[in-house]
Amino acid sequence: MAHSTDHHENEHAMSLAERAAFALLPFSGLGLLVFLLLSRELPFALALPWVPSLDLTLGFRIDGLSALMLLLITGVGSAVFVYAGGYLAGHRHQRRVLALLSAFMLAMIGAVTADQLVLVFVFWELTSLLSYLLVGFDHESAASRGAAKQAMLVTGAGGLALLAGLILLGQAAETSSLSGLVARGAELADDTRARIGVVLVMLGCFTKSAQFPFHFWLPGAMSAPTPVSAYLHSATMVKLGVYLLARLDPAFGEWPFWRMALTGVGTLTSAWAMILVLGERDLKRILAWSTVSALGAMVMLVGLRGEGSATAVGAFMLAHALYKAPLFFVAGNVDHGTGTRDISRLGGLRRAMPFTATAAVLAAVGMAGLPLSFGYVAKAVVLNAKREEEILAIVSYGSLFVGAVSVAVAAVASIRLFFRSAPEGGTVDAHEGGISLVLPPILVATIGIVFGVRPWLIEGLLGQVARSLTPGPGGPVVDLELELGQVFYSVAGTIAAGAVVFFVWEPLHRVVERGGALLRPYGAQAFYERALGDLVKSAAWLTRRVQHGRGSLYAAVLVFAIVLALGLAFAPGASSLAWPAPTSVELPVLAALTTISAGALLACVLETRLVLLLASGLVGYGSALLFLFTGAPDLAFTQFAVETAFVIVVATVLIELERRRRARSLLEPRVRPFAALVSLGFGGLLGALLLAVSALPFDDTLSRFYAAHSLPDAHGRNVVNVVIVDFRGLDTLGESAVVVFSFLAALPLVAALKKRRKEATP
Amino acid sequence: MSPRSLMLEVAGRTLYWLLLAASLWVLYRGHNLPGGGFIGGLVAVSATVVCAVSQSTELARRRLLFGDPRVLAASGVLASLLSGVVGWLAGEPFLTHPWVSIPLGVGSFDVSSVLVFDLGVYLAVWGAVGGYALLLLELEPAHDDGGSP
Repeated sequence: MAHSTDHHENEHAMSLAERAAFALLPFSGLGLLVFLLLSRELPFALALPWVPSLDLTLGFRIDGLSALMLLLITGVGSAVFVYAGGYLAGHRHQRRVLALLSAFMLAMIGAVTADQLVLVFVFWELTSLLSYLLVGFDHESAASRGAAKQAMLVTGAGGLALLAGLILLGQAAETSSLSGLVARGAELADDTRARIGVVLVMLGCFTKSAQFPFHFWLPGAMSAPTPVSAYLHSATMVKLGVYLLARLDPAFGEWPFWRMALTGVGTLTSAWAMILVLGERDLKRILAWSTVSALGAMVMLVGLRGEGSATAVGAFMLAHALYKAPLFFVAGNVDHGTGTRDISRLGGLRRAMPFTATAAVLAAVGMAGLPLSFGYVAKAVVLNAKREEEILAIVSYGSLFVGAVSVAVAAVASIRLFFRSAPEGGTVDAHEGGISLVLPPILVATIGIVFGVRPWLIEGLLGQVARSLTPGPGGPVVDLELELGQVFYSVAGTIAAGAVVFFVWEPLHRVVERGGALLRPYGAQAFYERALGDLVKSAAWLTRRVQHGRGSLYAAVLVFAIVLALGLAFAPGASSLAWPAPTSVELPVLAALTTISAGALLACVLETRLVLLLASGLVGYGSALLFLFTGAPDLAFTQFAVETAFVIVVATVLIELERRRRARSLLEPRVRPFAALVSLGFGGLLGALLLAVSALPFDDTLSRFYAAHSLPDAHGRNVVNVVIVDFRGLDTLGESAVVVFSFLAALPLVAALKKRRKEATP
Repeated sequence: MSPRSLMLEVAGRTLYWLLLAASLWVLYRGHNLPGGGFIGGLVAVSATVVCAVSQSTELARRRLLFGDPRVLAASGVLASLLSGVVGWLAGEPFLTHPWVSIPLGVGSFDVSSVLVFDLGVYLAVWGAVGGYALLLLELEPAHDDGGSP
């Protein structure tokens, strides 16, 4: 991690001004957003023409849900940019991280404001791509590269499913805008395309938001620098899946399948991640699993139907960002100050790191959902949403368990690390970071407290969120003050259960660790690794089979495929073929035909390569003669020239091979049934095609046009040449460019061949 | 190509220039009689191949216009491309070739940018196909008698 280079100011250090310049982007975004929210009515939309012929517009739309996401992106983003400036100070790739984070922020802003299906996908994939670059930031470590690849493959595969789903939904709803799709979604219940589309979109969202069984990539992504984890893998990007599901919920919320999938997968993810969290010792991985759990809870909330669920999704998203981002910063500070994130080696850090301890406590209060924090408000809203609905008993037991473990995790990140004395042999050497490391977590966590004490500050925005997620006009009225008292006992129960989990953390940890080791070979991670290994193996197998390197076999297979495809296509018309009426053949033509046949027959029986080449040259010259005697002198001329150059060059190479006694290796067996079959088939097919074509009446409109216009319009008596250089000049230009490009493409191939030979014969 | 034929070498010297002259003639007459840039280019390629086989590939390469098949081929495409600009600048569609009659007292001589276009095709074919041929001919270094794989 970064701390090894952090203490020594070196040539990579960025000046304060440079850091401030990077931080200007999120801060100005945040300022603009707050200004817009205070001064204008939501939603506002913007549409710029993009590709009018394809009915594509650059459509953007900001409603309550988008505004909330934007608040997270720019708000947490501001804290992250300040924090990253301190956390990576002096790191030689600090600028790269900040530049990637800036690009990521813009991609996120695009993803949550885009109102055009293609744009949604493009920005969605951009966030995946930037996440890949940021997770693999420490690219010299194999583990880091593996984690980046895993995150990319899982979310990238989901992104492709999303693209397919959005296309299908767009076609079914006959719209290319997201808001149009949402408006028309309810009418699509019986459309098969829409059903498949919804499943594919769900896949995309589940992979992005790390839902079971795609949950495994998120803890791996913790190899990214801590500010990146706080931003991408907790506060913003992983919430994109929840965002899109919530956005589409008004359209498909009434489908039983949608409801079941979301509540089922969400609950399962939420509970399973909270079991897995008990098996971890790395503070960042603990926070990652609890993030997965929170994402599961959000997906489950989207699946609920009651009026309060929309508010609950918004409130929980905000609360989660307000406590989880500071906790990640705390983890980063602990790592930075002690050199480890292993909770079994840490304790009693409050003396050495008082400010980080303060931030940890403020954030943990929110995570545990204690009164006077925004976490408490969110919990109240969530409980209300659940109460409105008949939900399965297992879901409520599940959420009790999830709540209890979150309380325990909050206690681990605050009480255990900072207030319980250090374990035997634990680290004693700890120090506090600079102001840019302690200010962001304290500030963000404090906002969580302020919103908890004064919920009306955020009530308006949450009301807008609820309105944007509720079909029809109007929408629920959100009144946060009223709901607080009703859930006090439920919250108290969760906290009591959490305290129990906290005190038996170590025994639980041992049980889960042991169980996890037993289950690991059957887990999603192991499946992913097996699948990846098998993919590589089967690709290698297929490549060995298909790319065997034997030119003659390539040619045979190619021709065979042509015979098969064309033969099948033309087989139905074969019976109507008739032999042409016999006509007298002139002697020169007959001679040309004899030459061709003789060359072809010789090529079949000859064995020596050089003679074989001459025989094939005979076919070429025979064809040239044929052209000459049937009124195509230009073609004949060309054929002569091509054939001559070809024979000379190939003969030279063959003679050289012969001289070095390497020609033997080129020999094929005397009788090759497959080759014979393919040749006969191809010849027969071409013959049949020729018969079919010559049976048709000849349309000479074009020839007459060219013949008539060649001299008056283009001053040329050679029609062929005039067609080439004038009438169809653009084609010729393209063709000669292709000839040149193919030559240029051959240059590196030959250079590589020469290099290999040189290495083989030192 | 070490066991070189004396007759081929001697004949090749003359043949090269003859073939090159023939190629230019084929190029020029192409507009009214069989011929043209493509065929002319191929004849020029034969000249290059004859030179490479009878004398040396280095000499054949040096004797290409501009001394480098890549430059030669690229200049051909460029010439064709630019020939089309003439008509375009005159307000006609791209690749429309204007004709100019030069009076010569007895009759007249018609010239056009289409000749430049055809010349471009000639150069492109000469450079690219001739370059291909030279690549293949150079592939087996004659001094290497190792017989290794």
